Amino acid sequence: MSETKQNPRKDTTQPLQTTSGESEEKLRSEWTEYEFDGRTKLAVEDLDVYYGDDHALKSVSMDIPEQSVTALIGPSGCGKSTFLRCLNRMNDRINSARVDGSVAFDGKEIYQDGVDLVELRKRVGMVFQSPNPFPKSIRANISYGPRKHGDIDTSLLAKVFGRSDEDAEERLVERSLRQAALWEEVSDRLDDNALGLSGGQQQRLCIARALATDPEVLLMDEPASALDPIATAKIEELIHDLAEDYTVVIVTHNMQQAARISDQTAVFLTGGELAEYGDTDQVFEDPQSQRVDDYISGKFG
Amino acid sequence: MAGATRTRLVREDTSGADAVAALAVGVASVLFGLGLAAMFEVVGLTGTLAGVPTLPLLGGLLLVQGVAVVVFGVGSRFGAVETNPRPDAGIVAAVAFTLIWLVVGGLVASQVLGLGLAGWLLGAILTGAAGFAATVLPREDVGSTLPAGVVTALVGLVFLSGYIAPTSVWDLGWEQKASLTAEFMVPVVTVFCALLTGWAAAKAYGGFGARGRRVGAYLLVYLNAAAIVGVLFALVAFTVFKGVPGLFRGLTFGPGVGPESTVALFGASVTFSWPVYLPFAMNGVGLLNDLNGVLPAIVGTFWLVVGAVLFAVPLGVGAAIFLTEYAERGRFTQVVEVATNGLWSTPSIVFGLFGFAFLIPRFGNGKSLLAGMLTLGFMLLPLVVITSREAMLSVPDEYRDASAALGVTKWQTIRSVVLPAALPGVVTGTILGVGRIAGETAPILLTMAGGVFVPGSQTADVIGGFQFTAAPPFVSNPELLQATSALPYQLYALITAGVGASGNVGNPDQFRWATALILLLVVLSFYAVGIVTRYYFRRKLDYE
Ligand SMILES: Nc1ncnc2c1ncn2[C@@H]1O[C@H](COP(=O)(O)OP(=O)(O)O)[C@@H](O)[C@H]1O
Ligand SMILES: [Mg+2]
Repeated sequence: MSETKQNPRKDTTQPLQTTSGESEEKLRSEWTEYEFDGRTKLAVEDLDVYYGDDHALKSVSMDIPEQSVTALIGPSGCGKSTFLRCLNRMNDRINSARVDGSVAFDGKEIYQDGVDLVELRKRVGMVFQSPNPFPKSIRANISYGPRKHGDIDTSLLAKVFGRSDEDAEERLVERSLRQAALWEEVSDRLDDNALGLSGGQQQRLCIARALATDPEVLLMDEPASALDPIATAKIEELIHDLAEDYTVVIVTHNMQQAARISDQTAVFLTGGELAEYGDTDQVFEDPQSQRVDDYISGKFG
Repeated sequence: MAGATRTRLVREDTSGADAVAALAVGVASVLFGLGLAAMFEVVGLTGTLAGVPTLPLLGGLLLVQGVAVVVFGVGSRFGAVETNPRPDAGIVAAVAFTLIWLVVGGLVASQVLGLGLAGWLLGAILTGAAGFAATVLPREDVGSTLPAGVVTALVGLVFLSGYIAPTSVWDLGWEQKASLTAEFMVPVVTVFCALLTGWAAAKAYGGFGARGRRVGAYLLVYLNAAAIVGVLFALVAFTVFKGVPGLFRGLTFGPGVGPESTVALFGASVTFSWPVYLPFAMNGVGLLNDLNGVLPAIVGTFWLVVGAVLFAVPLGVGAAIFLTEYAERGRFTQVVEVATNGLWSTPSIVFGLFGFAFLIPRFGNGKSLLAGMLTLGFMLLPLVVITSREAMLSVPDEYRDASAALGVTKWQTIRSVVLPAALPGVVTGTILGVGRIAGETAPILLTMAGGVFVPGSQTADVIGGFQFTAAPPFVSNPELLQATSALPYQLYALITAGVGASGNVGNPDQFRWATALILLLVVLSFYAVGIVTRYYFRRKLDYE
């Protein structure tokens, strides 16, 4: 990775650093036009995000294939989290944020009137950078989503009328915790407060909680940034397994991690532009852009 | 000085000097406690303590204490004790000691020497300057012990010498006939000197310097905390001691000794007699009673609080939800915030007047329990809004984000995440409010209270009072529309208005204190209910 590959475009007379300029626009669109096998799950086109006057994401276009892991890397402050929040419209919750452009989920535009945000977020789940379990029992954390969606009913009335889904809930809790590689550690204390778990366990609980609502896409914002190596390894393995059924988009600041777990990688650079997007092997071994090459080989960050 | 100062890392040996300083700290604490006890007349100045007359005992202790502190400071200055003093005692100590010595000089010049205004001023300024110099000029060890020790020793000498008697009174010669009694001044001065020398001794014990200052600050903080707890305890203990005789007068146990109660449910009724008879809490006031009691007022206060809470909590929490979760932060929420804060600070008599003018004409045109409940409910409302809002704002936004990201609606999030996390705060706020409204007299006077001393037959039976009718509104409760009494109102009437002192309550003083005690118990039991509720909500980890 650290070997400096001779890039055919490196010698072009156009300075790549300029953010405007016709030739660079053209080049970028070539780099980000990435062909993959399989169906497109999320199609992002010309996405701009502003925080007040701050232009945080500049005309980003990329297609994310289903049942794969897509890693987003780049220096901090380059808009990775912002991009991720666009995919389930969590940016709507930030007052100053304004989003321009289009994101299609299974071909349906999500930035249009009449989109049911609740339904969208059921399908596009999210795990945050810092673990944020509810101050409830482990069991209640997991079954929170399905209960609220009405998929599981364990209310008093349901119990009275004998249609309580307690067994289904038990199965769901166990399945989700197993998926998140947490079951062994907490199976004997499901009724304890989730806030009593360690940071790594809490993060895996949050993953299990997101999986319990059975989303189609899972967005993860640096899920391992606060974890020790063992917990990180567990989560990486988990992400790898998840890609069989789910579409995973993961932000990470750790390039080795991105190289290990992802199928395709998108590199954002400071200023909020998508500099390169392609097959992970190709991005890391033969980056098309000099700036990406510099970033990956550690010359700037 | 180039190098940083180094003190011993481990203080393994307790030297004799340390022991002396520790003893001085101990004596100061004892003096502090004695002073407080004397102030609240737990210890009489005229009496004796452990066989010694109190006043000379205090004087002797103060003298010993003052001398010990000075000796320690001077000894440290001449190297007899190992300490790490700073070059001076600091500006705060300097100002404090200057003021103290100003007062000492002024007092001696005017009271002992009998000098006029000029002499009084001169004396005060001279001694003040001396105090200032003694604090600032020498090293910290002398500067913080000498001025404190000498004042204390002087006070001790005055107490010892018999110059003031326990019964002395100083007429201040003001128009208002204000005077100071030894009974009040001696404890105050004792407490003050105890604090002063206690602080100096604690500094000495810490070897002055940074550590000494820390130990000195600890001592002041701890004594302060102890004093506050002590005063609160004394207040409650005082009420209990005074109230218990009246409360338990005529208490008897045994089958059938108590009054008869009838419990009616769906037409069937059961009548039984209580196996205990506590006249004060089970009787009203009546001519034929063996012993009079305050049952109607207890029940009145109880229903009053319950009604106000039932009215204010749902409304207040609802308003808080709207303000924190739905309304845009801006001019509107600011105005509402200012308005609620203002309402909570509004004097209760204003609420009372509102109830009198607005509610009473609408509820049967007479004072009634319902009007009182609503008036107090209006009083409680702003506090519930303020504390609930505070509690909801302190629920982290991460919970709301996490819930939204799971595809859960806002209202479900509020119900299942925000409210449960905020409930302990809501309960705390409500408890505070209940303490206030349970003790209100003015609004009750205007909206609810009928006769001052009501017979037991007028006890409000709110539950039994519900009647179902065929015509709208289908349910009525005449009990809610009756005037009744409440504990604080009854207390007020007995003390201020002198009503009832004419013998129909037996011993008015006992009756008064017992009423106060009952009021305290009623408020405390609401408090206990609140604490249990809060504990329950903290422990509950699973909400629908
Ligand atoms: N809530 C917000 N309000 C205002 N500016 C924001 C907000 N979130 C992010 N930004 C800005 O947007 C840019 C991108 O941020 P972010 O997406 O968090 O970057 P990354 O996740 O890549 O570190 C930064 O300059 C940041 O200051
Ligand atoms: Mg980020």
